[in-house]
Amino acid sequence: MKILSTLILLVALALGSAQAQKFITKSGNIRFFSSTPIEDILAHNRQVNSALDQQTGDFVFRVLMKSFQFEKALMQEHFNENYVESDKFPNATFTGKVTNIKDIDFAKNGVYNAIVEGDLTIKGVTKKISEKGTFEVKDGKVIGKSTFNVLVEDYGIKIPGAVAKNIAKSIQIDVDVNLEKLE
Amino acid sequence: MKKKWLIIIGGLAAAGIVLALLVYFFVYNKPHKDYSKAKPDFEVEAIAFFEEFRTNAAASSARYNGKVIAITGQLSSVEVTDEQVVALFEIDEGMFGSEGVRCVLIPEKAETLISIPPGSTITIKGHCTGYNETDVILEHCSIAI
Repeated sequence: MKILSTLILLVALALGSAQAQKFITKSGNIRFFSSTPIEDILAHNRQVNSALDQQTGDFVFRVLMKSFQFEKALMQEHFNENYVESDKFPNATFTGKVTNIKDIDFAKNGVYNAIVEGDLTIKGVTKKISEKGTFEVKDGKVIGKSTFNVLVEDYGIKIPGAVAKNIAKSIQIDVDVNLEKLE
Repeated sequence: MKKKWLIIIGGLAAAGIVLALLVYFFVYNKPHKDYSKAKPDFEVEAIAFFEEFRTNAAASSARYNGKVIAITGQLSSVEVTDEQVVALFEIDEGMFGSEGVRCVLIPEKAETLISIPPGSTITIKGHCTGYNETDVILEHCSIAI
């Protein structure tokens, strides 16, 4: 009987700690920035889903393409209809790992360097990426930040000749997610 | 006589160029759609709407993404962050906490939403941007009732 109750307690503890291992947000920020001598284009998405597993380092993102807001309505239209074809490919995703998750002390406030590797899928095309970022642990919350570049041609995005000079071949992506412990 | 024709052609060409520039300017700078004034493409009930996405994401995305949706349901809670105010219709529990429909309010309507007690039945109108495997997102939302 004692063994049984001990087992139940152990399972309950295991489940309890498994629950407490995830940090999530549903309102993460991703911005992208295209800069050419002719014009700068900035778009902002504030509805990004992200989850980080503090034990395994699993790190995922789900990004709705139609949630990117541009300054100009026309740019937003072109982006959705011509470049990323968001009706056909509504989500961009990242599924990967923080490879040095053990270096991050989630119990201690501070800024930690992170290396994130995994599969980035945009417009149905998946590429392996490896990027640097930081995690700031602040009173039990985790703020993840990274800036990196992607080449539009890697993801099969074709820019027509007429506007080829207006849109950069390499787009800067800024990620800023404020992850909270999943209760 | 020849000179007169030249002036007419020159004048027409100049007018054409000005017109083309104006069209270009207004198309280039055309404003974003005002979703608070737009007529809804679909009127839906929150739970049924969410279930449609969950059971068939591809067909529902094709049907609703990019459309103006008027959604009616019981307000579960209101999420307030530094950047936005979100009305939540929480319908189920998943791997990443509650799942349902998240309606991001336009700043002008944020105060009105905050004053509505959770549990109230409300209708919100907004632009559906899709389903991210946990939630359906509506943006530029205003409160219809």
